Amino acid sequence: MTSIHTDVQIGICGSAGDGTIAVGDILKRAMARAGYRVIAFDEYPAEIRGFGKCVARTRITTEPVYSMKSETDILVSLNDAHAIPHVAEVRDFGAVVYDLAPISMVDEGWHISGHLNPGQLPYGLAMREMSEQATGSSRSRNMVALGFIAGLYQLPRPAFIDAIVAKFQTKAAAVTESNVAAFNAGYDNGAGTYRFDKVEVGPPARRTRLQDSTMMTGNAAVVRGCLDAGIETFFGYPITPATSIMERLSVEMPKHGARLLQTEDEISAISATIGAGFAGARAATATSGPGFALMSEMMGLGVMAEVPAVVFVSQRGGPSTGMPTKTEQSDLNIAVFGGHGDARRIVLAPTNVEGCWRCAGRAFEMAEAYQTPVVVLLDLYLSNRYETVAFPKKNPFLRDMCKKPARDKGDATYRRFELTVDGVSPRAIPGEAHGIHTATGLEHNEFGRPNDLSDMHFQMTEKRHEKLNAALKHPDITIYKRFGDSGEVEVGLLAWGSTFGEALEAMLLARDEGIRCAAMKVVMLSPLPVKPIKRFLKDCKEVIVPELNYEGQFANLVSGTLGRSVIRLNRVTGKPMAVAEILDAIRSAAGKRKLRKSVA
Amino acid sequence: MYSEHPVYLEDKLEEIRDSGRLRYRSKSMPTWCPGCGYYSMTEGVTWALNETGVRNEDVVIVSGIGCASRFPFFMKTYGFHTLHGRTLPVATGIKLANDKLTVIVVGGDGDGFAIGGGHIPHVARRNVDITYLLFDNGIYGLTKGQVSPTSAIGFTTPTSPFENHDQPLNPLMMLLSYGASWVGQAYAGQPDHLAEMIRAAIAHRGFSYLHILSPCVTFDKTDLTYHNLDLSVQDLPEDHDQTDRLAAIREATKVDRRSVGLYYVEERPTLSDSLDEIVVRAGGKAAQQAGAG
Repeated sequence: MTSIHTDVQIGICGSAGDGTIAVGDILKRAMARAGYRVIAFDEYPAEIRGFGKCVARTRITTEPVYSMKSETDILVSLNDAHAIPHVAEVRDFGAVVYDLAPISMVDEGWHISGHLNPGQLPYGLAMREMSEQATGSSRSRNMVALGFIAGLYQLPRPAFIDAIVAKFQTKAAAVTESNVAAFNAGYDNGAGTYRFDKVEVGPPARRTRLQDSTMMTGNAAVVRGCLDAGIETFFGYPITPATSIMERLSVEMPKHGARLLQTEDEISAISATIGAGFAGARAATATSGPGFALMSEMMGLGVMAEVPAVVFVSQRGGPSTGMPTKTEQSDLNIAVFGGHGDARRIVLAPTNVEGCWRCAGRAFEMAEAYQTPVVVLLDLYLSNRYETVAFPKKNPFLRDMCKKPARDKGDATYRRFELTVDGVSPRAIPGEAHGIHTATGLEHNEFGRPNDLSDMHFQMTEKRHEKLNAALKHPDITIYKRFGDSGEVEVGLLAWGSTFGEALEAMLLARDEGIRCAAMKVVMLSPLPVKPIKRFLKDCKEVIVPELNYEGQFANLVSGTLGRSVIRLNRVTGKPMAVAEILDAIRSAAGKRKLRKSVA
Repeated sequence: MYSEHPVYLEDKLEEIRDSGRLRYRSKSMPTWCPGCGYYSMTEGVTWALNETGVRNEDVVIVSGIGCASRFPFFMKTYGFHTLHGRTLPVATGIKLANDKLTVIVVGGDGDGFAIGGGHIPHVARRNVDITYLLFDNGIYGLTKGQVSPTSAIGFTTPTSPFENHDQPLNPLMMLLSYGASWVGQAYAGQPDHLAEMIRAAIAHRGFSYLHILSPCVTFDKTDLTYHNLDLSVQDLPEDHDQTDRLAAIREATKVDRRSVGLYYVEERPTLSDSLDEIVVRAGGKAAQQAGAG
């Protein structure tokens, strides 16, 4: 059998309660178990029930990829009314699987089969009948549909059975049995169906590295980073899409003797985090935009009193309550600039799931080494999406990075806020006899006593700013990276956060079309790695900054800092940016306008 | 109090030195107005710490914003001068990071019951093992005399020129109903009793709330003055049952009496105890057992 590069995206669309997200979950776990690379991202409504639309998208590949695709290869409809708008996403010669006998009466024009474009191949399936025959209930339509596509493309049945058993292991045995029965009914039907689409699924890559990989979400990777870095206290308040960080830590932290408290609000969450940081613990909190806005004042105290703390912020659609279950990148401004006064802090924005883990771990090191709050800026797309990742065997994160005062010095001569060359002062924590001091939100002198003399405020402000520059050289973390063509290029993409994956895919496609181009990711948003960005911009005839906000917050940051105008590509649809849209922008910038239909 | 023997400065200084209270005092001079009730806080806390014998480096004093907030600077202990209203969650974080520390929170009525009011129920119900010394002068002193949540009806200030119409809060009743495990009241005009109450509050294992009536001599000439408080402050009835929460609430409702003393005390697991229990249930090693912070 000749090996082919597999790259298939499957979208399962249904109504809340259809089990859409559940079968999507089984699909991605089965495929990861079988050795494929997986990226998956679910779309779900803000309501728990209420018949809102759910879409579970899973991209299965053998080669490394960086984002979801704009186009779907296989669309499974569990609810035609919800799925019809997604028919346009299905590629030519792609497959659409739907229920021949929908549970409810379907009004004229609302059956999906009437909405397929020429070239999209239909597979009508009697999902309800098959579910009833296999299990005695129509509730397992989702498993029938999953079994059908698994059989149709000859995906490994045991991996699916394992995933189903794992999924329902806490339920009664009968639940597992009926789900397996429904899956098998679908599988057998799929295996016996003549296939006339052009979707190909080859065997998984035979790379041993992938055998050790696990599939997890960005938030789960954050949790692993926290644990690997030796987190001691966590204080949080539930908020979408950051809640799963606290939920996972609630289970994991006590196993390591660490303490977690659900506080009464975000203000107390950050206050307790700063308190624990002051007392020497590795402390963190996690929130989203609305909660982070409440934290702004205490972030300022962390900067002023030079207290280490780690704050995870997973962005969602804003402002105000906005779109809690939709993704956006509109909190860059508040992360980098939020709060009053000259309050520079470190802001890290990972671009993928592995980066979530690394940034989380390094954030604790940085907070301790540079004595300051560190923001790790995620977004819903990154927090919730699954990727297969492989972690190094050895835990790379360092402990005890705090610069300590000399033990022989008495407290009379101890200067907690000593003006040093690098701006980092020796820091004592409560319990240490040689370092008694009071930290304060008032401007202070080297001893920490309130002091508002002009020179002192100037020197202390400078110290608090300049000490952070060392973070630009912090070991073993990628704070920026260039990909694609080296040297001068026609088009350069400058991207941050989750959108970088889409930018990278678009750049690679543009190169295939013969456009000289490159992409740079920027992980550290504050302090900004100005020099490498400047070098990159110099190499680019045109620079595109794609991001999920209206104004172009990163574009403002870059052009404001470097005085170079850039092409802004902004979308606020609540969804990840489509690769095709970025590709169009590249072509347009390169002066090679082509019809969108010609995108392969 | 008059002594039949003359008091010489030298003898007095020696007495202060011998008392050990200076052990916990920094070299900074307090910056409050002469006559301020807060001076008795400095005396009371230093005396109480000396009684407990705790090491200077094991004490953290947390303050917010207001006249009381400068207190940590006058002490030779660790201190954290934080934000307006956020003392209690900061202190919670400090305590959970290191159980060995003695954590004392100081604040005023505005800091505690206006901007910070949302945190009090939660620190009380969780029984965080910290001591909260609330100095109630019924006024915003540091911003020059505005009305506060404990100001009396009819109180005239720059922001209530047509008299205060808002019903004042009853902090003792609030704390008792929130489930605080130690609730007491003292008066800055009775410094010895105050010091003893501070000692008992610190000694209590769990959340202790001490409400301290403390005149603002600069901006309040009519209401919570030493003169008025001297007339209204009295001891709790001798037969008051300190383990009866309802009896304590009944005493707290008698706002004209301003009774000082211990209203209520109970022993129950602290937040740290509960978190250690969770660690044990999860199969981990508890912080206190591990002997680490």
